Amino acid sequence: VAEPFDPALYVPQAAAALGLPLAPEDLGDVISAFAVLARVAGPVMAFPLPEELIAAGVFVPDEGAAG
Amino acid sequence: MSIAIGLRATAAAVRAGERTAVAVVQEALTRIAARDGAINAFTTVTAERALAAAATMDARRAAGRDPGPLAGVPFAVKNLYDIATLATVAGSRTDRDRAPASRDAALVRRLVQNGAVLVGALNMDEYAYGFSTENTHYGATRNPHDLGRIAGGSSGGAAAAVAASLVPLALGSDTNGSIRVPAALCGVFGLRPTFGRLSRAGMRLFAASLDVGGPFARSVEDLAIAYDALQGTDPDDPACAIRRPEPVTPTLREGIGDIHIAVATGYFSNQGAPEVFAAVERVAEVLGTSQRIEVPGAGLARAAAMLVTSVEGAELHLPDLMTRAGEFDPMTRARFLAGALVPGAWYSHAQRLRRWYCQELTKLFSNVDVILTPATPYPAFPIGLASIELGGQQLPAAGHLGVFTQPLSFAGLPTLAAPVVQTGSLPLGVQIVAAPWREDLAFRVAAAAEALGVLASPSPIAGQDIVGC
Repeated sequence: VAEPFDPALYVPQAAAALGLPLAPEDLGDVISAFAVLARVAGPVMAFPLPEELIAAGVFVPDEGAAG
Repeated sequence: MSIAIGLRATAAAVRAGERTAVAVVQEALTRIAARDGAINAFTTVTAERALAAAATMDARRAAGRDPGPLAGVPFAVKNLYDIATLATVAGSRTDRDRAPASRDAALVRRLVQNGAVLVGALNMDEYAYGFSTENTHYGATRNPHDLGRIAGGSSGGAAAAVAASLVPLALGSDTNGSIRVPAALCGVFGLRPTFGRLSRAGMRLFAASLDVGGPFARSVEDLAIAYDALQGTDPDDPACAIRRPEPVTPTLREGIGDIHIAVATGYFSNQGAPEVFAAVERVAEVLGTSQRIEVPGAGLARAAAMLVTSVEGAELHLPDLMTRAGEFDPMTRARFLAGALVPGAWYSHAQRLRRWYCQELTKLFSNVDVILTPATPYPAFPIGLASIELGGQQLPAAGHLGVFTQPLSFAGLPTLAAPVVQTGSLPLGVQIVAAPWREDLAFRVAAAAEALGVLASPSPIAGQDIVGC
């Protein structure tokens, strides 16, 4: 079972992994902004997609029309 | 003080020799000088270039040469479009020290080749990451219908410049709603074309898999003429489709007898103030449609669009985020930094979900030709407002503005945002949405609704000294 997600732990560590400095005065706002993204990612990631559904290299709006 | 006459009328007068391009451009420059201090739409006025171009055009015409279909039409562009000899700042402080652009962006060149005259660059949210044009570096752009309120964004300067009749034509860009939101809040017509229809070469992008450029104007016909001039393939933009231009002007007045129109329900009938839904219903009633249709997965599409945007936007600016994040606008900084930290699987899944969503919408458009939705969940709010209450819930005032635009652009659909004739003082807009590559249908519906009197761009600021037209 996955641990409950804590953006306050994740954000500084992920930024360190990327080598992205975060100013102390920005940290709270970045954590809040990431929490918003994590919230919207929940239902996106929970939506099952078949493996054969391939994202296009260059997005074409009506690619769904094929066939 | 004169107001800008329309694009078509201006070009016709210059082509016929009734007015000189120099006189038209000089009047536009005078209007900008007189009024833009209150609105803050322009960040740069290219007066010298504009007057030189206008003089050249007048000389061409005097020599018996065709000055082009947009002869003498003054226009301005969001300041993420390259303008030769100027640094393309895209609303940022960081990019002020970029090298000046060596040539104009592709869409600017297309308008200029057709006779239009560039008069300046326009304000925007920093790097287009916003819906309100509350830019800390360059100041907020003010809504011409209420100077205490936002113009919408991120192409707020473009919408406000057209709404205030400073120019009859402006170019913006739209990632998640950045043409449609300010068009609606400022009461002008704005087009987000099908993704890949127009070249983005020479534009400073925000989220490359979502961005498109597009025009603003004060009538459907003016918007159509501008759009037709902008079309054409361009190998300099890998996303620009290899497709012949499909002009919409010739079919604009063909009526809507054969067009199947429906109002989006479900997701698109919630999360907004009652007046925005009432405005859409008025348009539907005038157009004689009572059909309803639900857009499947719209909420998921918006969520996925937010993830894609955050990742692509952050990656584009990562070198500056690494070294000088403190120079970013406080309005965007934390969101850009957070986007850099998104796990790769979220992004890939969001892009694959996009394909599923496009397939669902393809099915939807087998049953309907055009869909109507609100453009924004509420009219323009006061500058500086952080949150707004809706249905007992506190929402981010600017962030929520994209609730109805984001799901449509995620599928790359062409969408025309149009001002609904209002009894209240603040403009509201409707989105007229068509299947990919069917801008012609959206234009025909807009033209019919405009002719029936339910769509119109309201007059600029009340009380201003405005004469003639």
